[in-house]
Amino acid sequence: MIPDKAGNAELVIRHAHVLDPRAGLDGVMDVRLTEGRVSEVGENLRGTRKLDADGLHLFPGFVDVHAHWRTPGREDEETIESGSASAAAGGFTGVVMMPNTDPIVDSPVIVSGLMRRIEKESRVRARVSAALHVGLRGERLTEMRLLKEAGAFCVSDDGLGTASAGVLRNGMTYARSAGLPLILHCEDHTLATGVVHDGVAASLAGIPGSPASAEDVATAMALILAAETGAKTHVTHVSTALSAALVAFFKDRADVTADTTPHHLTLTDDLVSTLEGLYRVNPPLRPDAEREGVGDALRTGVLDFVATDHAPHASEEKELPLEEAAPGFLGHETAFAAIYTELVMTGKLTLPRLVEAMSCAPGGWVGEGGSVTVGEPADLALVDLSEKWTVDAGTMISRSSNSPYLGKTLTGRVVGTIVGGEMVYDRTGAKLGTRG
Amino acid sequence: MGIRSFLSLEDAGREDLREILDLARAHAEGRVGGTLAGKTVCLAFFEASTRTAVSFELAARRSGADVISLSEQGSAICKGESLVDTVVTLDSLGADALVLRHPAAGAAALASRHTSAPVINAGDGCGQHPTQALLDLYALSEAVGGFDELANRRVAVVGDVLHSRVARSVIPAFQKAGMEISLVAPRTLLPSDAGAWGLPVLPSVDDALDWGAEVLYALRLQKERMTGARIPSVGEYARYYGVSGRHLRGGALVMHPGPVNRGVEISGDVVLDAASLVPNQVAAGVAVRSAVLAVATGAVDRVAA
Repeated sequence: MIPDKAGNAELVIRHAHVLDPRAGLDGVMDVRLTEGRVSEVGENLRGTRKLDADGLHLFPGFVDVHAHWRTPGREDEETIESGSASAAAGGFTGVVMMPNTDPIVDSPVIVSGLMRRIEKESRVRARVSAALHVGLRGERLTEMRLLKEAGAFCVSDDGLGTASAGVLRNGMTYARSAGLPLILHCEDHTLATGVVHDGVAASLAGIPGSPASAEDVATAMALILAAETGAKTHVTHVSTALSAALVAFFKDRADVTADTTPHHLTLTDDLVSTLEGLYRVNPPLRPDAEREGVGDALRTGVLDFVATDHAPHASEEKELPLEEAAPGFLGHETAFAAIYTELVMTGKLTLPRLVEAMSCAPGGWVGEGGSVTVGEPADLALVDLSEKWTVDAGTMISRSSNSPYLGKTLTGRVVGTIVGGEMVYDRTGAKLGTRG
Repeated sequence: MGIRSFLSLEDAGREDLREILDLARAHAEGRVGGTLAGKTVCLAFFEASTRTAVSFELAARRSGADVISLSEQGSAICKGESLVDTVVTLDSLGADALVLRHPAAGAAALASRHTSAPVINAGDGCGQHPTQALLDLYALSEAVGGFDELANRRVAVVGDVLHSRVARSVIPAFQKAGMEISLVAPRTLLPSDAGAWGLPVLPSVDDALDWGAEVLYALRLQKERMTGARIPSVGEYARYYGVSGRHLRGGALVMHPGPVNRGVEISGDVVLDAASLVPNQVAAGVAVRSAVLAVATGAVDRVAA
């Protein structure tokens, strides 16, 4: 925490409804933050600096293990500064940056350059995923031990599935010995030849589809190899019920975790009938049965947590026929509200499970944060669960505006985000009361 | 002497190793000679070799044997004759010992089933290289003051264990000599069942020294595999698995079966450093292989007498 002018590096958040299933907290209470960490949780805490949070919920900060901040290479779409601001606006206090940038993050010098920029520019705790293979080509391993020394947190060939089982097996084996977890984008490109889900909507619209099996086959391969190699493996953006079932099967056979995205939990492939490029994403939006299956898997903990796959695109890459548009959605700013609106308010998911899935579990995976516990970093999200808001391109904090929720009215909104005891996003100073 | 077979060292006991090394020393010191007089040794090298082929040939000739050298290109193998038929032919022609180098693991064992002559495995694929392990034991025991001085010393076997027939022979040889062994390699260059050896696997040469390694036994990394899918780069490999001068400060000895990829497994200045036993290993080849030929053909009994 940055001290105030009086040198006071302490803050008391008063009367917030603290919800942290991991710490067993669920009720109105006060939280004291001292020198960047949670120092006390209780009632009637006193302090010279305080935030009055009456009517607000206080969660452990959300952690997103899957984000594209487009740096280096496409700073017109997003930068570390704008991406981290967008994350903070969504209540995220920790983010993992994916390596499929231009140039690709496959050398130690690029990682160390990113680490320096993160230090200067990021409002939240940003971690770097380096590539698993040079150029993401699934051929030569990257210098994972040197990448780790340069600051890489994990490795991933995100955006591409690894075509060869033999290549992936070696990659997982080497990553394990390098002490780096893997985030795997599971997709078989001999099956995934279309641009949307290969289903009724695609057939009617005349758009080439990719079957669910494209994901399921690759997920099975990854999980089998994870079990064999012992590599710490995270399967990202699960979008089919069968892939989730495969994850369930391997949960006690491999060191495996998995996530799904807000859009796969809340949207379906009906949207592709609009033929608008805005709705192209990879893996594609699926039919309702798949969405339900993925939601059930998140509810039961088979899918450990939510990651957004925040993927900003310039308007010229999305305002195209669906087949020609770049795949990807913005995710940070709408993640909580979308899931809260579609799953919690409809009774399909409890609020504690949502907090577990957005904060505690991914925080545990990255090894920091995710709990309002004394001694933990003061990484927190303040949320107004009663606020309704309409997603609007003009108010997005990201440099891009390709949100699939544009025009939708959502309930629940992040109003403040604290990282290391410091307020990095503060939308309503009045609501939060007097600071200082 | 309890063993005649040199397909592997699996059946050799500690005393067998000591006897072979003693016999090798006798050869090195010129105390024995002519043990193979009147015998025919066939050297069948169906894979490239410098050290092993030359030292076997010198050993056989200095012991008085007639030597027949076969290579794949110079034999009927290149006309499509099978290994078994070639071995049967050599057997029929009266070879008293067959020294076989072959690219496939198990070739020496297969050959031994089709000849009455002893077969000495001079390296079979990723399988075994027992005479290399023996000459390593010889060179190391000479360096530390004798065979019994090997016991309880710690040796780290570093590098490409997966593809190394040397590792598969030298590990049991060191174990039989009473040494403690660790493996230092990326998991991608270890057999998937490396745990079956029950040896600790360490992540770098530095860690091996922390573990207490007094001997760093570096293995050759084949250049064709350097930038393949098993390791990222020569640079990263050399950083963690290469032996350089700084590793020798604590008095560690360095070994390598050769040929050395300088700057990869061992930095150039270390190859000829006083701590390097690489030249000693090569020099030990003739004496050890003389002893092996003598034991395999039964000539050792005459020596003992």
